[in-house]
Formats: sequence, C-alpha cells, structure tokens
Amino acid sequence: MRRAFTITIVGLVAGLVAVAGRASAADPRPEIALTIDKDQFQPAEVKVKANTPFTLVVTNKNAKAAEFESKDLRVEKVVPAGKTVNVLIRALKPGTYAFFDDFNKAATGKIVAE
Amino acid sequence: MGGTFVVTLREGFEAALILGIVYTYLQKIGAGRHYGYATRGGALGVLASVLLGLVVTALSGPLLDFGPDAIALGVIFLAVVVLTWHGYWMQQHARAVKGEVQRRIDEAQATHRLWIIGLIAFTGVFREGAETVLFLWGLLTQATSTSGFASALGAFLGLVAAAALGWAIFRGGQHISLQRFFALTSALLLLLAAGMFSTGIGRLEALGFLPQSSTAWDTSFILDDQGMVGSFLNGLIGYRARPSFIEVAAYVLYLAVAGSLMFRGNVSKPRPTTPEGKVPAHAT
Repeated sequence: MRRAFTITIVGLVAGLVAVAGRASAADPRPEIALTIDKDQFQPAEVKVKANTPFTLVVTNKNAKAAEFESKDLRVEKVVPAGKTVNVLIRALKPGTYAFFDDFNKAATGKIVAE
Repeated sequence: MGGTFVVTLREGFEAALILGIVYTYLQKIGAGRHYGYATRGGALGVLASVLLGLVVTALSGPLLDFGPDAIALGVIFLAVVVLTWHGYWMQQHARAVKGEVQRRIDEAQATHRLWIIGLIAFTGVFREGAETVLFLWGLLTQATSTSGFASALGAFLGLVAAAALGWAIFRGGQHISLQRFFALTSALLLLLAAGMFSTGIGRLEALGFLPQSSTAWDTSFILDDQGMVGSFLNGLIGYRARPSFIEVAAYVLYLAVAGSLMFRGNVSKPRPTTPEGKVPAHAT
C-alpha cells in the first residue's frame, strides 16, 4: 500500500514538473487580447481560427479580482485587479465556447472558432 | 448581494463538508482531544490561502500565468491522494469496529494517522481558499458604497452558511452509528475524490498536456453545474454538465480502481494490525 502511494506521489510530482517544463517552453502562438472592464468583456465575442492553439491575454481593468472561467474550455483562472494573465487555450474545433467572470456573473462572452 | 452569497457558499461548501466529516470522524473514533490536528490543518489552509492570495496579487508575467495553475493541480492531486489513503484506511477499520458494541479504535493506532487528518483538512480548505480570499478582498475594497457593502455582507453570510452546514454535518454525525458513518463517508469521500481527480485531469487536458477529447454529453439544460443544486452536486460528487470524454474516463477509472482498493478488503483476510487480532465481521 505504502509503496503504491509513494509511487503515485512520485508520479504526480514528476508530472507536475513536466507540466511546468512544457508550459514554459510553449511555442509562440497567436495572442488575442481580452479586457474585463466593469461588467463586460471586451470584445464579448472573440473570433479565432479553429484547430489552432492560441493565448488569451486577459486584462482586468477593474479594482477587484476577476476569475476568467469557461465550462466549455475547462479553464478557471484568477485575474487579480489591474493585472494581465495569459490563458493558454488548446486548439478548438469549430464551434462556440462560452466564458464568464466567476466573481461577477454579469460579465459573459464567447469564443467563436471557425 | 444574492450573487456573492452563492459564490462564497459554493466555494466554502467543499471545505465545510470535509471539515464536518473530519471532526465527526475524530469524535467517532474517540480521538476528540485530537481535534487540534484538524483545526491546525484547517488554519494552515486559511493561512496558505491568504498567502497565495497576496502572492498572486503581487506576481506578474509567467509566474502569474503558470504558478496558480501548478499549485491548483498540486493541491487537487494531493487531496485525491490523502482522501484515497484515508478512505482505504477507514474501510479497513469499518470492519474492525463492526459489532454490537461500538468499540473505539485503538487510539495509539489512530494517532499515528492523525497527520493525514490534518492534511485532509488543509487541502479541503486550501483548494478553493485563495480564490475565495481574492474574491472577498475585491468586495471589501468596494464595501464603502451601499451596494458594495451589501455584496460584501452577502459574501460573508455565504461563508457563515457554509460553516453552519459543516456544523450541521458534525451535529448530525453524532447520531449515526460508527460503522454507518464509516460506510457513508467512505462512499462520499470516494465520490468526492473521483470528482476532484476528474477535475484535475480536465485541467491537464485544458492546458494541453493531455490530448483533447470532445464533450461526452451536455445536460446543462436539465441541471447546469453553475446553478445552486448543480454546483452543490459538483462539489459533492463532481457532477459536470458538459464533461469531456477524458474527464468521464478519469472519473470512472478512479472509482473502479479506488473503489476496488477500498472495498476489496471485504473479502480478503483481516490485516494483522486489527486490534486484538480478532477476526472482524464484514462491513458493507
């Protein structure tokens, strides 16, 4: 038992290190700016090329933290007040992917991949 | 006000659930004077949440891009490991305590496992903690206006409601028998851990470290996991309205592996560490 857990933990740590390594070595990819201002995302509709990974550069102009979240994309990312966060988005199949600010449900938007 | 109430209630729900179970567990095994392990774990979780909240606000660049994700993943998988470990252990002992007399587990034996309890309390609080801290912080900076104050009050009441829920679990837990409590919480923690595991795998998928899979089903029109009921089910058993195939596979795989690990014990011979070496009756 104990050994199995040790192996599991070692595996997880190795996995995380690999994650960090790959994340920092990410290829240059298209960057798309997205701003959270008051109760709105700008633009509220983001058009991207399908099947191409890209980076969403999310800037929070509000004085309070926001959380960029998308159930469709399985992304959850806190954007502190006045900060900019890069959110890596995988290659998307053509379609519409909704996102919102989990800290302020009034702010919503969508990504349209085509 | 209602909106912020729901956010903090939802964020605090999982922590309250886990703390409620953990304290009841300590009380049940007659280790009531070791509540400190759970309390310290929970308090460290709060401390770590505040620290991470501060650090995230100070960070920028790649550290802000990847740091929180790496920590979130670490906490999720750590929580899965300790919950599984504990569930396995609890299941072993559910057999040992089955009987007419609710025998207290040998305390010495229980004590050397107590740090696991502390760790469970820690991960339970820390998992959503930093997020909640940042959320509350943002609200407090705007609490000078009337609507801002109402929002902050709503958020505060949400946390109070979550704590009340945890307390209710603790109180309710007093009245059920030990082996039922063990059986119930083993099952509950198993589902909880399965949900977490699936979430962690989903994050890896979203980050591109696992191949992308399509959506397995969409039940958001029946029960959205953003709504009140849906988000509680999400916290409790990992309900998702639009999971990917990989997430579903992770959930099922975890349940199968951890479930068989935990419940397989029912047909195997008792472990030599069973108190008094008696052959315990089987628990379900």
